[in-house]
Order: sequence, then structure tokens, then C-alpha cells
Amino acid sequence: MKALSRRDFLKTSALVGCGGALASHLPKVFETLARAEQGQLTPQEIYALAQPENQLYSVCLQCNTGCGIKVKILDGIAVKIDGNPLSPWTMHPHLPYQTSMFSIANVEGALCPKGQSGLQTVYDPYRLRKVLKRKPGTKRGENQWVTVPFEQAVMEIVEGGNLFGEGHVAGLKELWALRDPSIAQAMAEDVKAIWTQKTNEEKRAAVTRFQEKYQTYLDALIDPDHPDLGPKNNQVVFLWGRAKGGREHLIRRFVEDSFGSVNTHGHTTVCQGSLYFTGKAMSEQYKDGQWSGGKKFYWQADTEHSRFLIFVGASPFEANYGPPVRTPHITENIVENGLKIAVVDPRLSKTAAKAWKWLPAKPGSEAALALAMIRWIIENRRYDTKYLRNANRAAATADGEPTWCNATWLVKLENGQPTTFLRASEAGLSEQDRFVVIDGGAPRDFDPYDLEAPVEGELFPTVDSVNGIPVKTAIQVLYDSARSHTLEEWAQICGVKTRDIIDLAHQFTSHGKRAAADIHRGVSQHTNGFYNVLAWYALNLLIGNFDWAGGLIKKTEYDAIGDGDGKPFPLKKLHPKKTTAFGISIIRHGVHYEQTTLFGDYPAKRPWFPLSSDVYQEVIPSAGDAYPYPIKALFLYMGTPVYSLPAGQTNIEVLADPKKIPLIVASDIIVGETSMYADYIFPDLTYLERWEFHGSHPNIAPKVQPVRQPVIAPVPETVRVFGKEVPLSLEALLLGIAEKLGLPGFGPAGLGDAGDFTRPEDFYLKMVANVAYGDRADGSDAVPEADDREMELFLKSRRHLPASVFDADTWQRAATAKFWRRVVYVLNRGGRFQDHKECYRADGTVANRYGTLVNLYQEKTYKTKNSMTGAHFAGYPVYLPAPTDVLGRPLEDSEFDLHLVTYRVIHQTKSRTISNYWLLGIEPENGILINKRDADRLGLRDGDTVRVLSASNPEGFWDLGNGHRIPLLGRIKVVQGLRPGVIAFSLGYGHWAYGASDVVIDGQVVPKDRRRAKGIHANAAMRVDPVLRNTCLQDVTGGSVSFYDSTVRLVKA
Amino acid sequence: MSNGNLENSGAVGGMREELWRLARAFFSGLALVLLSAQRGQAQDPELEKLDLPELPPPQPNEDVLLRMMRELQRALQKPVEQRRWVMVIDLRKCVGCHACTIACIAENKLPPGVVYRPVITEELGEFPNVSMRFIPRPCMQCDDPPCVPVCPVKATWVRPDGVIEMDYNACIGCRYCITACPYNARTADFGLYHSDHTPQRAAYDEAPSFEYGRRWKREGGNSPIGNARKCHFCVHRLEVGELPACTTSCIGRATFFGDANDPESLVAELISKPNVMRLKEELGTKPKVYYLV
Repeated sequence: MKALSRRDFLKTSALVGCGGALASHLPKVFETLARAEQGQLTPQEIYALAQPENQLYSVCLQCNTGCGIKVKILDGIAVKIDGNPLSPWTMHPHLPYQTSMFSIANVEGALCPKGQSGLQTVYDPYRLRKVLKRKPGTKRGENQWVTVPFEQAVMEIVEGGNLFGEGHVAGLKELWALRDPSIAQAMAEDVKAIWTQKTNEEKRAAVTRFQEKYQTYLDALIDPDHPDLGPKNNQVVFLWGRAKGGREHLIRRFVEDSFGSVNTHGHTTVCQGSLYFTGKAMSEQYKDGQWSGGKKFYWQADTEHSRFLIFVGASPFEANYGPPVRTPHITENIVENGLKIAVVDPRLSKTAAKAWKWLPAKPGSEAALALAMIRWIIENRRYDTKYLRNANRAAATADGEPTWCNATWLVKLENGQPTTFLRASEAGLSEQDRFVVIDGGAPRDFDPYDLEAPVEGELFPTVDSVNGIPVKTAIQVLYDSARSHTLEEWAQICGVKTRDIIDLAHQFTSHGKRAAADIHRGVSQHTNGFYNVLAWYALNLLIGNFDWAGGLIKKTEYDAIGDGDGKPFPLKKLHPKKTTAFGISIIRHGVHYEQTTLFGDYPAKRPWFPLSSDVYQEVIPSAGDAYPYPIKALFLYMGTPVYSLPAGQTNIEVLADPKKIPLIVASDIIVGETSMYADYIFPDLTYLERWEFHGSHPNIAPKVQPVRQPVIAPVPETVRVFGKEVPLSLEALLLGIAEKLGLPGFGPAGLGDAGDFTRPEDFYLKMVANVAYGDRADGSDAVPEADDREMELFLKSRRHLPASVFDADTWQRAATAKFWRRVVYVLNRGGRFQDHKECYRADGTVANRYGTLVNLYQEKTYKTKNSMTGAHFAGYPVYLPAPTDVLGRPLEDSEFDLHLVTYRVIHQTKSRTISNYWLLGIEPENGILINKRDADRLGLRDGDTVRVLSASNPEGFWDLGNGHRIPLLGRIKVVQGLRPGVIAFSLGYGHWAYGASDVVIDGQVVPKDRRRAKGIHANAAMRVDPVLRNTCLQDVTGGSVSFYDSTVRLVKA
Repeated sequence: MSNGNLENSGAVGGMREELWRLARAFFSGLALVLLSAQRGQAQDPELEKLDLPELPPPQPNEDVLLRMMRELQRALQKPVEQRRWVMVIDLRKCVGCHACTIACIAENKLPPGVVYRPVITEELGEFPNVSMRFIPRPCMQCDDPPCVPVCPVKATWVRPDGVIEMDYNACIGCRYCITACPYNARTADFGLYHSDHTPQRAAYDEAPSFEYGRRWKREGGNSPIGNARKCHFCVHRLEVGELPACTTSCIGRATFFGDANDPESLVAELISKPNVMRLKEELGTKPKVYYLV
């Protein structure tokens, strides 16, 4: 096999090879050039980037922060990216939304180095342009590919067959087993009924009734004896890494609403899952006798107005949805307004470099530090009594508080342990389902949401039983947990000084509501993540800073999918034949193990996740174990579990085996660390070529909806779906399959009354119309219509886009004439952003509020059982030592003396920025940070190469399958700014795909670029769970993976 | 743009330098007319009519970037020799993010090995009493620049507004200036591309830069390949009313830019503070980059 010559490459390549392809998209803009050669240009003309018609506004996706961007285009090519000054991400305060587009052509907001480098992701020479198929006769992961026509690939995926010479592969046609929406809906109801049966006998009887009722449909089920596994449709699994609004809605429409599989799973738990799911547990509301409606969300600090901030396991200067958004507030407030920040992090982060106090606490001790502060604050009575005493909405409102918590509610004790809340009936107060506080020494019942009758309770009542039932208030339960150790003991556990804990607690309680503890991955990504997060949020509750400027705030977005009343396009409903996906998901989430027909004994074969979702680490290993059932096809979109998960090598064993997953289809821009194991790779569009509704983050106070839109001609080839030319993309893949399969909800009249769904814009422009319309039913919240001058700018600035992407008439039809000018107004501005002056109120609260009950004590969490032990989860903050396996047993690994943690540098985004050579100029390769004391002890010097070994990877290598191993080698970087005993590496380096290794396409070798392979990615050294054996350590309550609990040894290479 | 056109020719570059020199000494207005004529513009000698862009209406507490843009427009109304561009970097606000480094590379299409705006990171102290310091280091635009007199072909000079300009077409690539600069602010363009060693020359390597108000396409060994290269405060952006790329990209709002001759300007205010310093002041180079510490 010969190496690829440039000529061959251009002739055959499935990669960018853009010499010919891209040029064909370019408008013939030679006029400027001619005048330039005659020296007739003004400075403005020479510097064409400052002209409004050469700029398009969109949203960055170099990381998930989603900064507003202004893309400058020269001769059809994006040449420079800056911040959008209308976006609250990049200018502070951002410019009013109705600012003239012609007055901001020269105004740029600030963007981080990754955002500036986005061009290098987009124009990466290793990008795919054609569909790749694993070469029949070769194994998954061997990186031998053939290019196939789009139509052929779609046909094979739909029809199945002997696609690789390995035997029959089931196509989607076969897997689309249950197609009747009315049967699906009825079955879904009956499965729920099975789950409400109390005993196994009752469950079995319900199953028998189910089997009789659906006799003729039993073939469509995965297992008729376990109808709650759902239909065979569930054996098609769609897994994604980074999906944002629009594309996520499209995927769900395809997989859930049309195909009828429950298996759509995101990646939340690899990022900060337990942060989200503690937020969900804290936001559950009591309705009709049930705790429900908890939101998958969390809070961050309103950095702009804070006077004291503790960042725990978070570095907003480098990550955490921070850099362009939060940094200027922090630096400005530190220098000009006396803001103090404290940083709790074993590594001296760049944020810690500006801190009043840096606490390099032991990883895993996060809850201990919070509980120590809680103890001191309670014992020194420095909490916000007024806030905490409010038991219901009326009491909170009377105090001008937008929120309230259940600190005073009485919790029943059994054997001294807190269980459920005391009810009025149990207290002998009322037959109504009401909760109880002690007020004036006596029990008093109340409704938490009462608007009229304020009820306050005592925080630390002397009463300890009601009606003979032992009780404590929620804050007493918290205090008991906090005083389970002395301050000195807590300090010992955390490895910090008692004095520092007191200083921190004192400062935290010295600024009223303009203080916050802001937490992120470093808190949640442990086996004890859920309770770490809960402890830190409990600390925030003690100062009652929720919904206050400078305190904790939440994100607020303009609805794009059309869920509200009066919205122009309720897209979820616009479906001619929507089905009901039902059954247990492959990750066993949202249902209690005990309710299902699979319930036998403890431990379950693998953990269940009744309190969380999007449990990324469970998808592929569960498929490998066929628990709860085997899967037949895996779709992977913009995700790379092999690279991004701790111990990601465990996923390779499953992915590489067609018996475990018979069909793998990836949508990717490149051959990546996980897509290299796919059977087909469909080229996708990057963020400058596609649509998305990025949404917001908890530190953004204004209501927003940033809109990502195509700003350049697509790099991949164009294909035909439903008779229309579209670029190869996720959309082309899904529309193409839908067309071939005859899947409802797509194609002519696919949007029901709203018309066809034959192009991406048919869907996405209706979402833009929903954003433009706003969230008031009467439309009084709509954006203005674009005037003629803006309409002209809209067209002129898109003059370089090919018809496969932009055609004004097609777009107007999709958005409808009625909304067209408002849609243009939003697109011209790269989304919709509430004005800064609208989002803070004179009383010091924020306008976009959480505004309801916050659960300090969680009855629902308590009532949930751990599927591996059968024990109740604790409903309150508690310190659980880390790490533990899924059975909750401590892991010692004592022969491994160094604690391994990861961190994020601002110049890399986990798996997908190694192609950005500008960024590699800042740091060409990462290293293994080690404190000088440890280095001296181990005889290591700066620059030494070492191998990383751990209990579950004693030889220290990545096993890529097919006999290919990569040693876990990295260079030592000796520093002072790291807790001794801890070593750290930054994420983003050490690639073996993504252009870092050779691939063969149509017999031609596409050679690697060695720059992309530099550095170390030591995830493979992270501890594999000894019980599950094919999965990393995880938090069975909140779902997070553990990134910070493994221990390793370094050996000089 | 081809390198053979009049605008990019070495002859004009040399003449341009002479004109600046004259302008500085005597006839600034006349020099401007001549320069403008060279560039195909008819301009008022007293007021360089830059067709300044419309800016959004002023708001209370607006971002400091907008204040500096308004001040920039004010400065551009004055004859060039009455402006004195300075940069102030507040090290207390610099978070070492390198947004400026990359914005500069993206703006000026800098190849591998050429950096105008590095940021130096230093760790100080011993655990647990450790800190980090970040120091961005652009060209100091010295009033007495050691790089200028060593140039054998007069390819570099001090503009009337204080910026040290380069004429790429006159530069012979001897690198004397690189050695002479005590701040290491000059680097050599060896003709490398970021997408070397990949299957395809990438679009970002082919896009032109706009340095010194012209379009430069790095191809075929033409300038600026082979030349010494340096920060120029993005004079091509200043001309159209935009701040230097390092300033607008600064996420910590640590970089300030403006006309020190304007007593109302932010930079004039900042450089009068007691905590101001300049690098290697003892060398007598008189830098126009100030640091707040």
C-alpha cells in the first residue's frame, strides 16, 4: 500500500480535499481584487472585515459556553471570529437588543482563545466530506474504510443484510417492530400499571393480563415475559455527546416520537451530572401528594454583583461556562469593588491565582468542607434566620423573598434516622395532606404554596416529638450531619487548616445575600458527588441567596420548540403520527428497580438511576452486558465516550464486538477516538455550518436564546433527500433514513398542518419564529420586524452561501411570510437577548427567578432505594468518604500513592480542539503536574517521561483492540501550585485518532499529523469499578462518573 | 493580492518611510496628503477623513471597550502627529488566558513561530504559599527603539503617532532588529504554515492579513515571508476606528488602549496612577506600553 500523494488525495479523498470542492462554492468576487491591484481602495475597503455585509452573527461551540460570535467573511471564507456585542456573554453590559446592526459593525465583544481558533476546527484538513463504511472483511477499529454513496449507506442501514461479510445485520426496518401509535400508547399505560403492583405475584398477574391483551403484538416486544422492557424499537439506541436545542429536538422527534425507542441519551454524567441531578432533587415540588416536576438544572453565582465568592472545584477563568462571561466581572470587582474570592481546588488554577484564599483541599472531601462551614455558621448563629424560618410562599413573600426552603419542616425519625416529613394527619392536626412546623412551641400545619397565610417555623425547637412521633426540623437534621465531626476533625479530613475554614465561613456570612459558593465538576464528579453538591447548596441556603443579585441564579431561555401557549409552531405536536416510546431504558433511569418485573434481589446486576438521566458511562457497558436487554443498533452523535469517559478503554471492548452491538452508525466531522469503531461515519457540519439553539447557563441573568446558523458554505458534500439538495450532516442522515423507512413526522406534510419537513430549515426556522414571537400568548413580547435596510443586509451578508444552505424564498416559506421579518431580526442578531436593565430589580432580586421551594431535606430522595444495596438514600447533606465501588465499599488501592485528578486549560476543550494549531502554539503538549515535594521524593525531574499505572491498569496502557496498545506516557511538570500527593493532567491531549493516526480510505493512507498525538490522556489509568468490571467508578445517586478519586503510581520510563 | 502591484512594492514602502520622517519633522499635513494620494484617497490635510463608523448610542456604565472606541474616534479626528498611542496592561486583571495571543495570530494571520503578543506565566512561592503571575508582552513601541537604528535598509521606523512600523518589502530578513530588541518583541517569518504536515493547506493559512493597511497573502515566498515581524498596535484596525485585536479580545478587561495626548482618555488617567511601571525602564527605551501592578 503506498502513501498518499497530494494528487491522489485530491482525486479520491473523503476528507476535506477542499481545493476543488470548496472553491466551487465561492462567489466570484474578483471586483475588489481588481480595484485593489489598481490601488483604488479606501482603508475600509482594504479592511473589508469591518463592513456589516461581511459579518454574520452566530454562536460559538468550541466549548459549551455558547458565546455570541461575529464571524467575519472574506470571499466566502470565514477569516476571523470575534464576540457579538449584543450577547451577554462577550460584552458587559451587552448592548441593548434593538441597537442598529449598522452601528455595531466595528464593535467586538471579547472571546476566549478557543473561540478565536474556531476556524481551525471548521477548516481542519482531516474533516470528512463523504460517507465512510468500514471495509468489509476488516475489524472495527482497524481504520480501514471505503467511501460509499450516501444513498447506499442509508439503504444498508435501513434494509440490513450481510453488510460486512460477518453475517446478517438487522436493519432499522426490522427493528422498527411496533409501529402502531395507539397500541404503543395503550401498552405504555399498561406497563405503568404493572409498575404500580405491590407484590411480585401481583406483578406476574399483571404481566399475564398484558400478554393476553396484546397477544398479536408480542413479537414486537423485546421479551414478552418482561413487557416493561418495551418494544424491540428500544434496541435502537441514540447516544450523543454535545447536542443543543434544535438538533436534540430533531433526534428526539426521530427516535422517540417517530421510531418509538426510549433510548436517547446525552452525556450529562461525564460532565457534571450529579450537579444537575442534585438540582433536580432540590427543585422537586409537592403536588397531588407527590414530589414531581424537579428540573434537571443547577445554580451558579450572579458574578456581576457578588462581593464574596467561593469557587469549589470550579475555575471560571478557564472553564465552567466562565471565561468571557464571568471573568470581566470578577477581575473588575476584585480591583475596583473589593470583591474577595476563595478557591477550593487541589491545583492552583488561574482563578486561584487571583484569590484571597486558595484552599488546596483533598479531592473527595468537598462535603466535609461545606459541613464544617455549616457547623461553624450554625453554632455562631450567622445564618439568615428570617429566610430560613419561612415555611411557605406567603411567609417568603411577606419578607420580599422570591424563594423559601423546608429548613423548619418536621422530619420523622426512625431509630434516630430521618425519614419522611411529618404530615398533619400524623400530628393529629388535620386530615389534609399538609406539612408541619413547630411555631411557638406547638405544631402547626401548612400548605407550602399557600399565598395567603404565612407560616413560619422554629429552626431549633425544643419539642422533639409530636403526637408521640420523634421529629426534628430539616435544619436540625443538617446540623446533626454537620456536627458528626469537630471542626478540627473536618479540617483533618479535608487537609486544610481550621483557621481557614473559619475565615471562609466568616467571610461567606459577612456580605448578606451578595455572596455565593459556586460549584462545578470538582464537587460533582466523585463517587460521593450528589452529597457533595447538596452540602454546598445547603451552605448557600443558610444565607438565603437564591434569586438575589450577587447570590445564586438560574438560567432562563426563550422557548424555541413551541411549548407555551399561543406559540406560532408547537413543534412537538406538529406530527401526523406521533407514537409513545415506553419501557425501561438501557441505562435503567427514571424508574425504581423495585417497581419493575426485573426486580429480584440486591444488588441489581448493574445500578439503576431513578433520580438521574443521561448516564453516559452506562450506555455502552450495559449494551455489553445485555442488561436489561441487548441492543441491535447504536447511533453516536458528536460524542466520544472512549476518549472522554474515565477508563474509557472499557467501552472499546464492547464497541469492537459486532456480536454485542451489531450496527454502529456515527455522525462525526472526523474519524475520532470513538467513531473509529463505527460501521458507518456520516460527515457532519461544524458549528459554523449548521443550526442550533444553544440555550443558556446558570450564571447568565438575562433571558436569552442564542441562535446558531450557517455562516459559511458547507465543507462536506451535498446529497439529495426528499428531492432536495442538502449538505451531508446529521439532518441529512436522519431525513435520509426517514425517507427510506417511510417514518412519519418527516417528508411531505411531515409537520402536519405546518407543512413539509424535507429540509433542515423547515424545522429550525419555525423554531426561530417561536423565539422571535416570545413567550406571551398574545405576541406582545415579539421582537420588531426587520426594516428594509436590515432585510437588505440579511441577504447581502449571505451572498456567499450556496442554495443547498440558503435560499431566501425557501427560508421565507419555512418561517412563513407572517413571521419572516421578525425571524430575520433574530437571525441578524445571532439570537435573542433580554436587555441588561430588564434583568435586575430595584429590591436587589433578579427578574428571572427560580421563585419557589428549595428542598434542603429531600423526602423523594429518602424514599428512593439504592438498587445495589437496598438501602434508602439519605435525604440530606452527608459526608461519604470517596472512593467507593457501586456497592458502596471503600476502595483502598494503598500501593498507589498519588491521587490522580484532571483539569481544564482554557486552550483545549476535552476531545475536539487538538486540530486547532494556533492553540497548540500556547502549549504543544500537556504534562503531568506534580508537586516538587513528590517529585523530589520520587526522584523525578521536570521533563522526565513517566508511565502511569493503577490498580485497574497495572501495566499502564490504552488497549485499542486488534492488538494495538498505546502506553500511558507523559512528561513530568514540577510545580509548587498543587497539593502534594495529588497529580494532575489537563484534558484535550494525547490523541490516537482525530488525525493522530493513519487511516486508510479506499486503499489510500491518509497520514497522521504527529502534533495531534502529543501529550497524555491518562483516563485509562482511572479506576474501573471492581463489581461492574467494564465501567468507571460512579455516583449511584446522582449518576456522575468519578474523575477525581483514582490513585496511581508513576514509573520513570 | 499579487506582490507585484504598486502598493506592495518596495519602492513605495521606502518612500513611505521617508514621508513619515518628513512629516514628523516638518510638514505633517502635506505628508498625509501625499500618503493618501499614494493610496488612492483624496483626503483633507487637516483632518484625516476616515469615514468613522457609527457607534451605538452611549449607555450608562457601558463596557470599557466602548469607552475606548469613542476615545479612539476622538483621537482620529486629530492630525496623526498629535496622537500618542499607548497601551496599558493591568496585571491584576490579566488571567493568563491567551485570548490576546490568539486574537493577534488570527487577526494578523501569523504563521508558526511568529507571535506578537505572548503572555508569560510565572509561578511564585512555595506550596502552600504559591501564586501565579501573567505578563502579556506586546511590542513596547519605544520612543527610542533599539530595533530601528540597526536596520541596514531603513525598513523600520517610528511613525508620528509613535507606532514602530515595518516595511515588509524593504526588509531583507537580516534579523539585526530581532537581536537588538531587548524585549524579544520581533520574530522571523520562516514561511511555515500551520497546516503543514496535514493532507491539505487549510483556508486559514491562505487568508490575507491587513497589516499596515494593505492585503498581504503569504504565498510563494513573498513578503512577509522571510521578514522580521512585530506587533504594530493593529494600525490597520485603528484606521477604521477599531481597537487593537488584543484589546477587544481581553476577557479580563486588562488591556487598555488609547491616545495619551488626550487628557480625557482612559489611558491618560491610568498612566498617571502610582502603581504604573514599564519593562526595563533602565535601558532608556521609553516604552509606550505601561503595566499596572
